[in-house]
Amino acid sequence: MRRLLAERLVFATTVIVILICALFAYLRVAT
Amino acid sequence: MLPYVARRAVWITVYLLFVLAPVLALLMGDLPPARDFWTEFSSAIAYVGLAIMGLQFGLTARFRYVTEPWGEDVIYHFHRLLSLVALGLVISHPIILFIVDPARLRLLNFFQAPVVARWAALSTYSLIALVVMSLWRVQLRIRYEIWHSTHILLAVVAIVAGMIHMIGWGYYLGDPEKRALWIGLSIFWLGLLFYVRIVKPLFILRRPYVVTEVRKERGDSWTLAMQPHRHPGFRFIPGQFGWLTIWGTPFKITGHPFSFSSSAEVGDGRVEMTIRNLGDLTSKIHEVPAGRRVYIDGPYGAFTIGNPADMHVLIAGGVGITPMMSMIRTLADRNDKRPVILLYGSGDWESITFREELEALETGLDLKVVHVLVNPPAGWKGEKGIINTEIMMRHLPPPYRDHEYFICGPNPMMDAIEKALGEMHVPLAKYHSERYSFV
Repeated sequence: MRRLLAERLVFATTVIVILICALFAYLRVAT
Repeated sequence: MLPYVARRAVWITVYLLFVLAPVLALLMGDLPPARDFWTEFSSAIAYVGLAIMGLQFGLTARFRYVTEPWGEDVIYHFHRLLSLVALGLVISHPIILFIVDPARLRLLNFFQAPVVARWAALSTYSLIALVVMSLWRVQLRIRYEIWHSTHILLAVVAIVAGMIHMIGWGYYLGDPEKRALWIGLSIFWLGLLFYVRIVKPLFILRRPYVVTEVRKERGDSWTLAMQPHRHPGFRFIPGQFGWLTIWGTPFKITGHPFSFSSSAEVGDGRVEMTIRNLGDLTSKIHEVPAGRRVYIDGPYGAFTIGNPADMHVLIAGGVGITPMMSMIRTLADRNDKRPVILLYGSGDWESITFREELEALETGLDLKVVHVLVNPPAGWKGEKGIINTEIMMRHLPPPYRDHEYFICGPNPMMDAIEKALGEMHVPLAKYHSERYSFV
């Protein structure tokens, strides 16, 4: 269960990071 | 002090800020001409990948206020998995660029590629080597100390080479302010490493301990009693652990994590660690002479006794008894009569570490000890096999979800118990576990 906590954290971090990178690219292209 | 949940939220926010803010800062001020979406996306993930790699030094720096709300084992697992994420991001960067413009594939020719691309290759190859060595250290038969030194070296090369590549490419970091920000960040990351490997060991070096006794215990285990030498020592909470360096100085990468087994109420700073012979460094514990100077980095860990009103269910397997023993001894010293049930799995009757002391403590505390033996002696009327749902339900009073559960033992046992507690509908917040094989 402790591992699951770390795994959930990593998953959430990865999703947030990829979304922000996509936002970065979008802002660069759109503005 | 904020509750653990709030502190966790604060640290998640701080972590994401450190990873994402420097990337978003690249969008400020004067900008170079925009390229297509995927090229910009690939640049962003490379910067984020580098930031994650740099912050890895902070995750393993053993900052107590960072690790406390999580537990060291969670932080180490997070660190390991994040290295895979960083590798994925860093490798995706060139792959996306090759798909967008296949002509860039010529950059893969290391000897003919421009210098700036060679730095990128060096960074990526170092990161791949680092991850491969970490995932398959045991299979590759790499000694822990050799692996650890190489791990640090490869991490530094990956970060420095990645940074040189980004500055050399000069697209976003052509801007002097943004360049200064990212160079400053790199210095900060390497500063974390300097702190862990140089500054912190200096502090530990000034606070040595002296071994006062090496005591044989049941179950091929030895207890090291250690007294602080010319300093007051530290206070720990029962269930916590320390990194012990027996041979060498704190500068050598030889520290191993062991739980304290003594009571937290000992007034003179003396601490004890009980260590089972598992064939590695632990096989030489009995050779440690009394009077030897050793070093302890600690205390660490969030695996500690909770609300006095709740029944405490301690579930130990083998040498996983050590943090539980610290809890029980501390409760005895405090004359704390909270109800405690210890489910204790061992190989056989003769190898039950602390067997006699636990029997004695049962009379003075509200403590019930249930031994579960894999190889019980003839005529054994107690529990047999490994601790499972049926055994727990036989000995614990319902409602199960109201108790506090503490679990420590070998990984297969921990997995089985965590599954069993799930079946008993015990909420996650009610169980606390610490894996002693997290490094």
